[in-house]
Amino acid sequence: MTITKATLDAFIDDHLNEQDSIRVEKAVRESPELHTLLKSIVASRDIGDHSIGAIWRREHLSCPTREELSSYKEEALDTQRIDYIKFHLEIVGCNACQANLLDLNSAKGPKANPAAREKHRQFLENSKLLLPKKQ
Amino acid sequence: MASTEEQLLVKKIQDGDEQAWSTLILRFEGRLTNYALRKIKDHSSCQDLVQETFLGFLSNIGNFDPSRYIQSYLFGILGNKINDLLRSRDKSKIIDHAVDSSGNQLDAGHADSAMGASTWYRGDEKKKLENDALIKCLNLLIEHLLQKKDYLKLKSIELLFVKGVSNLEAANILGIDNRTVASHRHYANNFIIEHLKKLHLSPDVFPQFSQQDQD
Ligand SMILES: [Zn+2]
Repeated sequence: MTITKATLDAFIDDHLNEQDSIRVEKAVRESPELHTLLKSIVASRDIGDHSIGAIWRREHLSCPTREELSSYKEEALDTQRIDYIKFHLEIVGCNACQANLLDLNSAKGPKANPAAREKHRQFLENSKLLLPKKQ
Repeated sequence: MASTEEQLLVKKIQDGDEQAWSTLILRFEGRLTNYALRKIKDHSSCQDLVQETFLGFLSNIGNFDPSRYIQSYLFGILGNKINDLLRSRDKSKIIDHAVDSSGNQLDAGHADSAMGASTWYRGDEKKKLENDALIKCLNLLIEHLLQKKDYLKLKSIELLFVKGVSNLEAANILGIDNRTVASHRHYANNFIIEHLKKLHLSPDVFPQFSQQDQD
């Protein structure tokens, strides 16, 4: 694995799979040059300079829509599009799209147990109090 | 740009509409919880983080630009919260150390405002305009490739920019020639530079254009 500036950038955004993330981490520990590079990326982000990759990930620029993911699940898209979405999910490893797909696949949803359902209900009630006051 | 329906939902919440708020929570909590569960295995902690994310969104609702995608914004807040929680992990330590020793600590309150929100730029309007311009150019590039159904180029560029792999690795993943990947990278860079110029911005404001052609 070659570690480029763009790799470190993806590392900061937590966009690497676990295996690659561990590799990068190890390399950064062992190489003062990579550590310096990582530092410079963090510093430049702090003043608002974002790389193409960081912006692309943050804005989910190439992510299929939720509706498209739903059609992907049903294989109701043209083969090229299905192939691309598979690539985006599995090779690029987009966390947001994987989460969406998991959510679409789980019939019960995230509130499977009674405690979680109750916590959800309470949150819904309590958070309403924080809404802006009606004009 | 967010759909009209989504923009309306935000406007209603900004006006204090309870029903709209419930709709937003019900719509997004499933995907957010699944996102958190990928990093944090404990369901209850994930639920807490997701609820904090909604509160973070609500606390900035007055400044939220309805044309933004709610999902990207929420994932941004949640991502920050997950990183904060995982701070004890080695990876975060490395990044934290890099932050500390550069002397530029990130805003303490950044967790409540997804990256890309105005606070992230520390009120630097110029930087925000530059980043917005880059988003516009990237969107045009992706739309252009999708229109031409040039999925190979899109995959190539996504691997290089988003996954951060080298030309050679991208070539191996896609089963194509190294030089073809290099030409895709050139194509993308030229496309972006050309469109930045159309927006009257100098590509020099994005230092990566001088470095991206190297490997
Ligand atoms: Zn995605």
